[in-house]
Amino acid sequence: MDEGKAKIIDEIISKYASRTGRVLSVLEELQEKEGYLSKESLKYISTRLNVPLSDLYSVATFYSFFNLKRAGKNIITICMGTACYVKGAPKLLEELEKLLKVKEGETTPDGSFTIRSARCFGACSMAPVIRVNDRTYGFMSPERLPAFLKLYGWKQG
Amino acid sequence: MISLRIDGRLIKAEEGERVLQIAIREGIDIPHLCYHEAFEEPYGSCRLCIVELKEGGSSRITTSCTLMAREGMEIKTDTPEVIKHRKLLLELYLAQAPLSNNIKKLAERYGIKGTRFHKTLNLEDPLGGKCILCGLCIRACREIIKASAIGYIGRGEATRINTPFLEENPDCIGCGSCANICPTEAISFEDRDKRRIMRSWSNTQVNLKICKLCGHPFTPEPLWLKVKEKSTYTPSEEIEEVCPNCRIKIVSKRLVKPYSL
Repeated sequence: MDEGKAKIIDEIISKYASRTGRVLSVLEELQEKEGYLSKESLKYISTRLNVPLSDLYSVATFYSFFNLKRAGKNIITICMGTACYVKGAPKLLEELEKLLKVKEGETTPDGSFTIRSARCFGACSMAPVIRVNDRTYGFMSPERLPAFLKLYGWKQG
Repeated sequence: MISLRIDGRLIKAEEGERVLQIAIREGIDIPHLCYHEAFEEPYGSCRLCIVELKEGGSSRITTSCTLMAREGMEIKTDTPEVIKHRKLLLELYLAQAPLSNNIKKLAERYGIKGTRFHKTLNLEDPLGGKCILCGLCIRACREIIKASAIGYIGRGEATRINTPFLEENPDCIGCGSCANICPTEAISFEDRDKRRIMRSWSNTQVNLKICKLCGHPFTPEPLWLKVKEKSTYTPSEEIEEVCPNCRIKIVSKRLVKPYSL
């Protein structure tokens, strides 16, 4: 654990006084800062909050919000909610996996893209929907995917 | 003291005692998996201990491990309704833990031979096909041993129990309480070459204490240290760090000596 990271975590912890209620808040804030929860960070938080590592790991794996792996520069999330699913989301995922040559939940070796899936963005009227970072794109199709990826610096290889 | 009836028998109990606890004490058999007397609070996760409760003219089905005894309660442990639900539960357990002999035996007792549900068998999970996720091992490790070496991982049907990051966990003291308390015998460990290997817990290794007389390993070292730290009894130097077998020899010699003189 390097000192800089420890300091970041100490700062986050110092904002929360509640002994029992702060675990989620601390994890959430750290993930927002770092993009993911590293093993070292969780171990450090465990000693600082005096919460067993097994507890933190349970929480971090329970909520799909938390990532335990470093994510890529661009996070592509495919909606697998009922409407999108019916409108062909699995085909989108299949195509995306083929184009980026990584599976769902993984990051490309150059660290530029991560593929994820989620349940319903609340944009069912535009199904199927994908999200790249903070932007949501509707009426997606496997044919349109390469053009979108190029917007984010992807090169066909 | 209050009195209640279980299967027609009038039984005296303390107010607030749990019905399952009373039944066990009175020798009334109610099947259960996630209840253990070592814990103050019941968990109510396995649902097998359901009974029918009649109180004030109405009746309902509820788990007896969580049910607090009250004056005038009437409990029936094996009505057709209760048995119907228990059978369904056992079918579900047969799907989740098809490799557990205890589950098979229990199912057999209720005349369940197969399951209509999809069997889950995750062979990557060391507890796969045996664990019912009742949580007894986690609670024993946390509440009694206070090691918190293991926990639930994930959610929904992907839930498993293991060490964080599926790695060896130095928090484990190798006491084996988890394996001992597991109702489906899902957890395993072995002692090999002065080390205890917790096979179910990502092969966490714990050093075994070596007997200073015979040189045989006899208990996990961290457990030995913990007991030593907690115990108010200080063994004499002669028997300290000595395995049970050698202790017997020493103590029996001590006992025999005065007569042989």
